[in-house]
Amino acid sequence: MFGAGGGALAAGSLLTACKGAHDDEAGATGATGNFPKPGERWKFVFINHVTTNSFFAPTQNGIKDAAALLGVDYQWTGAEDGNVSTMATALDTAISGGAHGIAIALTDNTAFKAGCKRAFSRGIPVVAYNATAAGNYALAYIGQDLFLSGYKMGQRIVREVGSGDILVGISQPGGNNVQPRLDGIRKAIADAGDRITVHSVNTGAEQAAELSAMEAAYAGRKSAKGVYAVDAGSTAGIAQMIDKQGLKGKFHAGGYDTLSDTIEGVKSGALDFTIDQSAYLQGFLPMLALYLYRLSGSLVHPPEMDTGLTFVTADTVDPYVKAQSVYEDAKGKRMLSMPASLPLPAPLTVTSS
Amino acid sequence: MTTSTVDTRRGRMVVDGLLRRRELSIALVTVALGLYFTFTTTGFNTGSNYHIIAQYFAPWAIIAAGEVMLLICGEIDLSAGYMFTLAPFVLAVFVNNGAPLLIAVLGALAVSACVGIANGLIRTVLNMPSFITTLGMFFLLWGIALLLSGGSPVQAPEGGALVSVLGGARWAELCWAVGIVIVMQVVLSGTRFGVYTFAVGGNPTGASEAGIRTRRVKTACFALTSLLAGFAGILDGIRVGSFDPTNGGANYMFLAVASAVIGGTALLGGSGTVVGAFIGAVALGIVHEGFNLAGINANAFNAVLGVAVLAAMMLNIYLSRFSRAGT
Repeated sequence: MFGAGGGALAAGSLLTACKGAHDDEAGATGATGNFPKPGERWKFVFINHVTTNSFFAPTQNGIKDAAALLGVDYQWTGAEDGNVSTMATALDTAISGGAHGIAIALTDNTAFKAGCKRAFSRGIPVVAYNATAAGNYALAYIGQDLFLSGYKMGQRIVREVGSGDILVGISQPGGNNVQPRLDGIRKAIADAGDRITVHSVNTGAEQAAELSAMEAAYAGRKSAKGVYAVDAGSTAGIAQMIDKQGLKGKFHAGGYDTLSDTIEGVKSGALDFTIDQSAYLQGFLPMLALYLYRLSGSLVHPPEMDTGLTFVTADTVDPYVKAQSVYEDAKGKRMLSMPASLPLPAPLTVTSS
Repeated sequence: MTTSTVDTRRGRMVVDGLLRRRELSIALVTVALGLYFTFTTTGFNTGSNYHIIAQYFAPWAIIAAGEVMLLICGEIDLSAGYMFTLAPFVLAVFVNNGAPLLIAVLGALAVSACVGIANGLIRTVLNMPSFITTLGMFFLLWGIALLLSGGSPVQAPEGGALVSVLGGARWAELCWAVGIVIVMQVVLSGTRFGVYTFAVGGNPTGASEAGIRTRRVKTACFALTSLLAGFAGILDGIRVGSFDPTNGGANYMFLAVASAVIGGTALLGGSGTVVGAFIGAVALGIVHEGFNLAGINANAFNAVLGVAVLAAMMLNIYLSRFSRAGT
């Protein structure tokens, strides 16, 4: 951290020493890299729905790292228990406390509309992260595109399964965070000619019960050619079930997020894949977006950033298994060793009309 | 009968005298907290910040107005926080079945009061401790709220004068809180019902021997608490614009009871004031908002909050001893 700062300073003084053809103001006061130091120290506020949930520990690491990189302050606040009223009040506090930028998880369709409008009217940029809701106001959404991730998963299921019955576990049918994924899967299957029948399994939100629900569903439909899930707990439940009952290879399987059972399942081959929505980037990228937007006086508009289309497979799972890191855990290493050779990523696709 | 009534009145006067000083000390602590944040944060003394503080404490103060009555008569309602959660969804059910908003509000309030009456009857007729009775109701109401909402938020009614009055307008929730506190304080210190409440909590045997229907008084207090909690839930939901199954809950109940106790109400019954509970809620609101404004991060927040509440209460006890010694 100090090394990077020192490097930035040295680079800054070097740049000031010799000006190029363009007489710009790069690095003159050297806050970070080429960027000038703003008059006051900026503070970006993150409003979260479950501030102490372990899923968001890497998100906070991302925020912290970006804050150190950019020389800004941050506040991680909101509600511990999803309480929308507390979140809305925290949003108001951020505005009246003079935040220089706000990132908010839009877990409710209506509760944050007024607050976000007020923020914009006071010149405070707002981006949404982790959760988004139609009809709300934010410069961009930085997080997983839930429907798209489900659609990609559906395409993969079509490739792997072909036709027949599949089970898909969902912790909370209708829930803003999971239902769009299931809808995406159904859409992809329908687009591919509808040769797969989806049987959804309501698994509930408690992890022990999720395993039981998946086991019961599979016992009732042993002909299933694939067993999938659209939430972290149910995915881990599938991995446990395959391990416990020795079902590896009997059907295709996969799901979401990087709980340890899931990662072990991918490693052992019980699961074909899991989709990583990168909690770390959901903190790091909003900081960068807010910083550049402010620094450029609103010229550099944050793009939509989808953090959630990384398929973790047996080829790519090793870095997840090997070491605790700040990118996937609450604490751990910042620097991990680079694999000697890299698996080919999925070929690029281009949207055409 | 006459002597015991006179005794009760004399007892009440002594209790009131003590409490007035207790309120004074918590008021001083509240002012001290305000000064602390004025000097340590930027933007504390602004209209918009006062509004945010009011958003914090108004629901706690309204629930506390009921809890004070219950605490005074020696009972507690643990389910009030989930009555707060459930009432907006009951309102939504009425609205979805075609009821106009006013009828839906009255219906939801009636259901809230009935929950309180059920609490009261189970407590007094079956003689079950209120801790267990209302703990059972706590889970029941929580479950019903989740079932009615399906676990996801419902949009609150929007537009119209009634919505503005019921929390939509900027200071509406605070106005309701202040109005309710004044009315409840008058009920408590100026009516026969208030005298009975003190009597039932301070000396239950004496009260029933004096002809006070203790069961009826307690049941009425339970009904009032649920009614106020349900009303606070509706106000808060409309203010936020969304009825959410995660609103309210155990946290709000504890904050309301804490407001009452910080404001000088005895946990074991017999003494307390609604105004004191209101000041207690303001103090808690200032601490919540102040540390948020100071930029305390979520993981450290509860630790800082805990230290602040303990320090404030120690100062409060010190001040009340000081004022007692001074007179």
